[in-house]
Amino acid sequence: MGIRLLFGRGAAVRREVEHSRDVLYRVAFAWCHDAQRADDLVHEAIEKALRNAAQLRDPKRLRGWLFRILANCLRDQQRARRDEVALDAVEERLVAAGPTPEEAHESAELVVKVRLAVARLPFGQRQVVTLVDLEGCSYSEASEALEIPVGTVMSRLCRARQALRTHLAPLATEQSETKLRSVK
Amino acid sequence: MSEQRRISEEMQNAFVDGELDAAEWARVAEAMGRDETLRRTLCELRMTKELVQGAYASLPSAPRRAVRRARNNARWAIAASVLFALGGWFSHAWWTKAPELDPASAYTLGRFAATMDQNLVLVHVSNGERESLGRALDEVEDLLRAARESGRSIRIEIVANRDGIDLLRAGVSPHEARVTALRARYANLELVACGQTMQRLGERGERINLLPGIEVAPSALDEVVRRLQEGWVYVRA
Repeated sequence: MGIRLLFGRGAAVRREVEHSRDVLYRVAFAWCHDAQRADDLVHEAIEKALRNAAQLRDPKRLRGWLFRILANCLRDQQRARRDEVALDAVEERLVAAGPTPEEAHESAELVVKVRLAVARLPFGQRQVVTLVDLEGCSYSEASEALEIPVGTVMSRLCRARQALRTHLAPLATEQSETKLRSVK
Repeated sequence: MSEQRRISEEMQNAFVDGELDAAEWARVAEAMGRDETLRRTLCELRMTKELVQGAYASLPSAPRRAVRRARNNARWAIAASVLFALGGWFSHAWWTKAPELDPASAYTLGRFAATMDQNLVLVHVSNGERESLGRALDEVEDLLRAARESGRSIRIEIVANRDGIDLLRAGVSPHEARVTALRARYANLELVACGQTMQRLGERGERINLLPGIEVAPSALDEVVRRLQEGWVYVRA
């Protein structure tokens, strides 16, 4: 990707931006847990990125740059709407939108529970854990994307994982016990 | 005193996220070998990370525009080429991304020096379903064959616990002939059973005959920790 971006950079960046649609959608969904809204956000972020493709100085930072644009789009939207959506609504939506048919039934429930635990996290923590866990961002990449210091990335991640562990540990135990019981 | 006091929470998370430098990584790995509580905490952190990853592997499409399903490509780019051969496991796998050692730090790291070789792959099998075990064997065989054809030296170890141990049991394994044949054909394939699982089955009065050439580790967890310390790549089937 590096070499391609050095030559005819604008066009190449635009191509890469288009290819990042799926990645952006996953992150946007994990941030707001609303398929429609996530799709709108991605659409908006991609439009913005395409308009500003020339601003990206270092092609290696494309991903972080895109996440930053996405985060800004979401922030603007939240400012405009002033609504951190009620958790009940998220829960309802998660169960309804829930897992896709291709997922097995028992894991379906788990997926909803995990997503709900993620949705319960304060927004800042949710952003960090999503970038690091889903997209494999390094701490410094996450720090750039969210425009916060690396130390803040680390402390948010600590708190997020602690909360997730508290919510998810019973599930993990439950799962392994089911498994143990099923050993003949 | 627990090692957890010395290994801060930030550091534990950074370990799980592959963010430590070589010296710090070695310190945690070493502490992990001694401290069971730390080991359990790190396991839980990994499991949490894995659950979060898994929960977004396939997403509901947006109502208006169809969105192609995406796999988590970014992480895979980090893995060595050997891992790419494992294709099918990717959506379920987690592994410790050990930092690369530069020659200077490797020198000071003593027993961790020659480690972190991406041609060392530990495959963890804990599910006893015939199809799942079959898929794991397919992947392992592909990998072994590809390595042999390209003249690359590689070592693979399958460690089996819980229901997965059936794979290695004579008279029980749904793939007995295949396991025996693979073992005979590839000396670089090692098979290890979890001692704890065997003990638990024994306590229930089950007779356990392992296939020839199977080693027994004190526990699957011990084996995973040991291999991680030696720089193996961990893949969960």
